[in-house]
Amino acid sequence: MSWDLFLLLLQASVTTIVVSVVSIVLGFLLATVVCAGTMSSNTLARGAGRLFVSFFRGTPLLVQLLLIYHLLPQIGLDVPSEVAAVAGMALCTAAYQAEILRGGFGAVPKGLMEAADMCGLGAFATFRRIRLPIAVRLTLPSLVSEIIMILKASSLVSVVGVIELTRMTQDLAASTFLPLPLYASAGVIYLAINAVIAGVGTVLERRVARGHA
Amino acid sequence: MTNAPAIRVQGLVKRFGKTEVLTGIDLEAARGEVTCLLGPSGSGKSTLLRCIAFLEEATDGFIEIDGAPLGFALGPDGDRMRLPPNDIRGVRSKIGMVFQQFNLWPHMTALGNVMEALVTARGMSKAEAEERARARLAEVGLAERATHYPSELSGGQQQRVAIARALALEPKIMLFDEPTSSLDPELTGEVLNVMRKLAEGGMTMVVVTHEIGFAASVGHKIVFLDQGKILVEGTPGEVFGKPRHPRIDQFLDTYLDRGAAGLL
Amino acid sequence: MTFDFALVLENVPNIARAFGVTLGVWAGAVVFGSIGGFAIAVARRWGPTPVGWLLRAFVEVIRGTPFLVQIFLLYYGGPFIGLSLDNIPAGLFGLSVYAAAYYSEIFRTGFEAIPKGHLEAADCAGFTRAQTLRRIVLPEMTMLVLPAMVNMTILMLKETAVLSIISVPELTLEVSAIGTAHYAFVESFTIVALLYWGLTDLCGRAGRLAEARFSRYRFSHS
Repeated sequence: MSWDLFLLLLQASVTTIVVSVVSIVLGFLLATVVCAGTMSSNTLARGAGRLFVSFFRGTPLLVQLLLIYHLLPQIGLDVPSEVAAVAGMALCTAAYQAEILRGGFGAVPKGLMEAADMCGLGAFATFRRIRLPIAVRLTLPSLVSEIIMILKASSLVSVVGVIELTRMTQDLAASTFLPLPLYASAGVIYLAINAVIAGVGTVLERRVARGHA
Repeated sequence: MTNAPAIRVQGLVKRFGKTEVLTGIDLEAARGEVTCLLGPSGSGKSTLLRCIAFLEEATDGFIEIDGAPLGFALGPDGDRMRLPPNDIRGVRSKIGMVFQQFNLWPHMTALGNVMEALVTARGMSKAEAEERARARLAEVGLAERATHYPSELSGGQQQRVAIARALALEPKIMLFDEPTSSLDPELTGEVLNVMRKLAEGGMTMVVVTHEIGFAASVGHKIVFLDQGKILVEGTPGEVFGKPRHPRIDQFLDTYLDRGAAGLL
Repeated sequence: MTFDFALVLENVPNIARAFGVTLGVWAGAVVFGSIGGFAIAVARRWGPTPVGWLLRAFVEVIRGTPFLVQIFLLYYGGPFIGLSLDNIPAGLFGLSVYAAAYYSEIFRTGFEAIPKGHLEAADCAGFTRAQTLRRIVLPEMTMLVLPAMVNMTILMLKETAVLSIISVPELTLEVSAIGTAHYAFVESFTIVALLYWGLTDLCGRAGRLAEARFSRYRFSHS
């Protein structure tokens, strides 16, 4: 396998990274809303949040992507396949991240909030200064795993026509008859990206570890 | 107002679902008085303390702090009515609380824990807050531990930081909920010494504890709770001296069992 | 936009057959995967060190790369090294390998979570290694790993959908085909999503039921 082929794979992995990062960020924003819903005292909001989480965690991402890809044009949204792909991945990861956040908020010891209450911090300050920072620290390892999951899951957007790493490998394998080295190279690139994410995660976790209970 | 007791509890009832944890508590604590709440587990002593802190809302009855009603007051039509949040906040700011589990915020240093409410809730400047926080930490003997995180401190040190955190807000009353129960025996002394000093300085204190020795030597008043009621109330001499209430005898036997009952 | 679910209903027999393939591949991968995963976990814990390294590398590679890339490598790359598999065997094999790597991690954490004292007690009582494994480690671990196993097993069901890409005639592929034939994609994928959703929900409920049943055998830590 030539160096040129490998360069093409590297180029395509930029798309993989961009699609993943955009999905993760959009998914996180959506997840805060969904999480607020599932933790809400309002029955309707809680039900909607739970239904969202249940559906997007209970069905294959591939099916979600295909559904959204075909649904968007039918409801008059003619968007490029990249947008459909990002929409599908963001919705899916939002469901997972919402559950991670809910777990994190739930794991903040009640006593820490009571202490804040006794110190007169008030509801908003208690959330901003105590509950949120501790929940973020508690969820950091799970969020890093979720980022790695999404990076791997981004390979599925190849089926809706986004030319990312997996799709590029597939196309090159078909034209060069070199599937073994090509797919192995793609695997190595995925491993390398994941190693970087995991490494950054470890550094972040170590940085906040000092402030752990 | 000025003659009002620091704490007055009247007819306090607390129910969790169908279980009545407190069945009508009446209690008064004068300014500068140290009240020790004793009793077997499940007797309601912690619940009573948490009601005085307004961490739990009593089902019925009234609490006054320095003559001001806390949480609920008798309305014009004779009904028990909830007071507006601002009133509640004002009265609660006179109360400091120390927890069994310390409850220091793990993402802030000792100094950060003590400064937090001064800056965020009291609107103090950072420099002013730091000065006060360092002074309080010095009082509990932790001046050189100011930049340590809770995870880097021993249990006894953490509890002393928690005391400094409460004191920094200049409360009129300090509540202690089993402050030494999560500590190794050799670490309880340093916390009890800080509390003893605080009592000598004239702080009004309510202490839920199993440290009978501390209660007997520092407490001005012992309140013994059993099954949600005050069983015996009096000076340490009255409560622990002979003749003793048989229930207290039994309590001392089961909760001390170290020959300490004989020392009293 | 019009929904014509009647098109999908006409194809109920096809869908049922495809659903059978999905269930079969899923069950096979779960069974082979958990057996393989258990073997990997045991070998990593009690086997010779170099074997442990190799297995660790294998698990890391499987967990660090997309399943789709793995299945492509197997299905399209396999013939070049004399491993020509049809789509169903390839799918079953690939999914089983994938499952084994993940299950092995669950078992590994399960092993680690068993208090050392329990093993020492078995040792003192004169149990052989095999007896300890069968009488102490396995029953204790069942309770420890059950929630993670249920999760992973549900994840496996969703992962079977990826096999449609190498033309395994399972649910997602079959329903896509109906969608293509009648130009009714949204209807077909809605149906298929609901089928998966129902099944994963059912599994989740069954898992919680099992956890509740087993929870009283759990040892308490404090």
